[in-house]
Amino acid sequence: MTPPQADPAVELRGITKRFPGTLANDAVDLTVRRGEIHALMGENGAGKSTLMSILYGMTRADAGSVRVDGREADFASPGDAMAAGLGMVHQSFKLFDSLSVAENVVYAAEPRRFGLVDRAAARRRVRELVEEHGLAVDPDARVGDLPVGLRQRVEILKLLHRGARTLILDEPTAVLTPAEADALFTVLKSLTAQGRTVILVTHKLREVLEGSDRVTVLRDGRVVARLVTAETSADEIAAAMTGRAVELDRIHAPGTPGDVVLGVSGLATDGVREASLTVRAGEIVGIAGVAGNGQSELIEALAGLRPTSTGQVTLLDADITHASATERRLKGLAYVPEDRHAVGTAPAASVAENLAMGHHRTSLSSRGLLPPAGVRAHARQLTERFGIKASAPEVPASALSGGNLQKLLIGRELAHEAPLLLVEQPTRGVDIGAIQNIHDQLIAYRDAGHAVLLVSAELSEIRGLADRVLVMYEGRITASYDKDEADERTLGLAMAGGASREAVTVEAVD
Amino acid sequence: MNNRILGALRSPITFSVLAGVLIGALFLVGTGADPIASYEAVLTGSLGADGIGSTLTTGTSVLGMALALAIPLRAGLINLGGDGQLVLGGITAAVTGIYSPLPAPLTVVLALLAGMAAGAAYATLAALCENHFGVPLLVSSLLLSYPAMSLASYLARYPLKEPGSSLPQTRALPDGVALPAFGDSTVTWGLVLVVLAAAAYWFTDKRTAIGYEIRMTGLNARFSAYAGVERRGLTLKLMSVSGATAGLVGAIGVLSFPYRFVDGSLTAPGYTWTGLTAALLATAAPLGTVVASFFFAVLQVGGLAMERTTEVPRELTQVLQAIVIVFLAARLSFPSRWFNRRKEAV
Amino acid sequence: MFFDSDLLMSALRALTPILLAALGGAICERAGVFNIGLEGMMLMGCFTAVATSWFTGSPWLGVLAAALAAAAYSLILAVGTVTLRGDAVVLGVAMNLLAVGLTSFLLRTVFGVQGTFDDPSLAGLPLIGGLSPLAYLSWAAVGVAAVMLSRHVWGLRLRGVGEAPDAAATLGVSPAKYKYAAVLLSGVLCGLAGSQLALGNVTLFTENMTAGRGWIAVVAVMLGRALPLGVLLAALLFGLAEAAGFRLQGLGLPQQATDAAPYVVTLGALFLTTARRRRRVRPSSTGAAS
Repeated sequence: MTPPQADPAVELRGITKRFPGTLANDAVDLTVRRGEIHALMGENGAGKSTLMSILYGMTRADAGSVRVDGREADFASPGDAMAAGLGMVHQSFKLFDSLSVAENVVYAAEPRRFGLVDRAAARRRVRELVEEHGLAVDPDARVGDLPVGLRQRVEILKLLHRGARTLILDEPTAVLTPAEADALFTVLKSLTAQGRTVILVTHKLREVLEGSDRVTVLRDGRVVARLVTAETSADEIAAAMTGRAVELDRIHAPGTPGDVVLGVSGLATDGVREASLTVRAGEIVGIAGVAGNGQSELIEALAGLRPTSTGQVTLLDADITHASATERRLKGLAYVPEDRHAVGTAPAASVAENLAMGHHRTSLSSRGLLPPAGVRAHARQLTERFGIKASAPEVPASALSGGNLQKLLIGRELAHEAPLLLVEQPTRGVDIGAIQNIHDQLIAYRDAGHAVLLVSAELSEIRGLADRVLVMYEGRITASYDKDEADERTLGLAMAGGASREAVTVEAVD
Repeated sequence: MNNRILGALRSPITFSVLAGVLIGALFLVGTGADPIASYEAVLTGSLGADGIGSTLTTGTSVLGMALALAIPLRAGLINLGGDGQLVLGGITAAVTGIYSPLPAPLTVVLALLAGMAAGAAYATLAALCENHFGVPLLVSSLLLSYPAMSLASYLARYPLKEPGSSLPQTRALPDGVALPAFGDSTVTWGLVLVVLAAAAYWFTDKRTAIGYEIRMTGLNARFSAYAGVERRGLTLKLMSVSGATAGLVGAIGVLSFPYRFVDGSLTAPGYTWTGLTAALLATAAPLGTVVASFFFAVLQVGGLAMERTTEVPRELTQVLQAIVIVFLAARLSFPSRWFNRRKEAV
Repeated sequence: MFFDSDLLMSALRALTPILLAALGGAICERAGVFNIGLEGMMLMGCFTAVATSWFTGSPWLGVLAAALAAAAYSLILAVGTVTLRGDAVVLGVAMNLLAVGLTSFLLRTVFGVQGTFDDPSLAGLPLIGGLSPLAYLSWAAVGVAAVMLSRHVWGLRLRGVGEAPDAAATLGVSPAKYKYAAVLLSGVLCGLAGSQLALGNVTLFTENMTAGRGWIAVVAVMLGRALPLGVLLAALLFGLAEAAGFRLQGLGLPQQATDAAPYVVTLGALFLTTARRRRRVRPSSTGAAS
């Protein structure tokens, strides 16, 4: 006996949105039935985010109509969308770190007594919601102290407190361990069992196949496929997403390791406990782990940007434990940081100036002088060599697309020809063409006899590039695998803290 | 080239200056003056034969202080302690000038160097406060400025006071201990020194590796830190150069007419704030700072002429100057590092 | 005797303007607006209070006008930083300069004098128990601000806006509205602070009469960690320093030494607290967690 087929939870018709230079959404239709988990898939830049921000009242569509629970809707703000029963968990959480869980949940919908926030009622409300939905979290905990998985629960509680009937989750598993992701899907399924609806925005095939009821695939702003999950396959979805058959997990041939370039023993800093590792010439060592388990801190400490409390670091047999960032660079280290806008470049400076950083101390300057002609020539040479599309070396770096800015950053660091390259999240947020280009560059760099230490949140990237894989969990290196041992299941288990300690001792002996 | 001219016309700087001049005109109308005649008085009073000397003298101090503030500003650092560094430079130069046993020309050089050293040392103190005690530079430099002014005032009024004079001033410097003037004007070699400093700043900014690091720090402090630019060291260097420049301006003031340190005479005309305004207007770019300083010197000197001919108070030029920056600040975004810095410190 | 009730009263008088301005600064800080224009807003308050009291004969109208004028003046900061997303530091510095120029200009055009306007018939605020009513008001304001910020719905939302404006916006709370409210409120408080300075502590207007008190208020916000009670303690410290300065001057120290006292005390306090906090608090290690 099927329930009376009521109106769809969400119905988008002919949504079109144009941004300068791109057509982000081109007459997109999307129907989400009540009580289903509907996956919205597509590559970066396919138009998923634009579509969801239109649905959620953050952006206005140029054309098209939105219906929520059968009623015509024209949301001017997320507040309107929430009033209509929608709720969104953004990829980067929108939480107040210094406030408690209860305060976060009731914020802007507070229970009151005499105009004051009724804290007891807020706490009670959170406990009710927690029990009803099995989303265990302490109402009095400070949100800033919670691990990522629990922070995500706070986000969901926020929406439930507001009575959201349809939940939109944007890349919800990007920051979760596989185990946490499984727990999330259990919660989502219980929510849909109660008649709520979930829209899952993602680019991960695995969770779509395991977690969703139906799939809509976007490419270049258009709907290219509407699929029922039970009747489709990974290959079909992937082909729809990219428009061609792709090698899903391209695994590069292993390198030929030579002498040790980087040696780290017992290194400790804020967020990192007794890390030991080695990286050899001609080898890529990958560090896998859920974001926030000390990878960034470890890399920053190695780059000389974070003081170390104990341990020893050697680069090409020289002790650099206490060397400054500049000294390390001069001794043979290059570094591609995770955040290309805030750290890796100065977006307001020109492409040429951005490409000169680091080189201004070595090849481009003599006796403290930095001739502008040299800086320009250097920029022309690198833009050509790395295929960076910039109209002129004088344009500001902020004018470049994400992929081009990343190529600029990686090109600049590769051009140092440093024996050791530290690289974090080399392909985050760049399109698939640029990803392959960047991967090829890194492999070529390794094959030229350089050592590479790679941190990535994408397991497929780690598995495709790394000759050896280390796993970090809670600030420690808890496991080490050779290329052929590092399958997705093993790594997933280790990232969730399930690795044995043996691996550590193996690494220390190494 | 055409594009560059168009771009400059459309820039927030042009907009702010025009807005300032326009609002100034409204003020003039409000006080019953003829705005066109008033502005004409400003121009003829400052650029005419009678005023140009005065404009260049004022311009010497304004440009000097503008450079002092522009140099750290290029890296996103605001030095609000210019007044303190200026008077310490002045009083140190006065003491050196009075007591140096060397021949007069050497004494002049020594007094200039001593003034620069005093300003540099004091500005460095503010930098150390930020580096080692976490007091934001903005605050530490400003707060340090007041005791320095009190100290100089005390010295000029008590231990170093000219015997028999009713004015709060030191003795006059010995004969010959002065910067040579051009002809019989009040313009001295101080102008040449300040222009040379501007040229050195331009060269460093455009053609050297350190200048590049300073600019990149101003555009994105995290970027330059990532590439190994050591912030504390840079803050220290920039503040010492900044303080030295402010001290130089103080020393030039003392080594020019009336050839002594007079309490309040260095700070009363507001060179520090005018200089800061000029540096902000130019986003600390070297040539822009020179142009903006000249512009504000014209306003300051012309304001006096305007007051004489139209009876509009010269304070109007100060209002105008601030309005320009208000408009500019609302349209410009400087790096957010003052704010970050403060968060770290608190 | 050096510490006696006179010293305390004198400290309380010195405390009031700084406390009022610093409360305004603290509210702005909580809303995520860095307000270093307190000095200029206060100065506008001083002039408006004196001018209004002079022309109407009522110091109370002077206080009211000062609060309104300073609030209007604070709109520059609100529009500039919140709406136009300009730089708060540059804007604050410019507002302080503008206030000095504007009040000096008005002093000459309205009163026709330069430097100081001072007239025996200018009506100041009455004293209750040796203090101006604004002193009591400032203490009450500390309590109200403390409750509002920590317990009231408005305060919770304001703190949220200050900490994560986009998070607040996604929940339908407009950060701009709260930031405007905070800045305007700081304008009102600075107007009161200015009135206290020009009609309470003394009864006159003199060019640049705030003389750095707005900056001391900025420091008080930092020292008090933008908590109303913390700000009260910090402001009290400066009040005591200023009062002690006057006392020392009476004992024969040169005026310059005592002028410098509050600034030196301020810096000293900053050194001590930040140095201690630095040792205690380690930098957070939240990497790319969110």
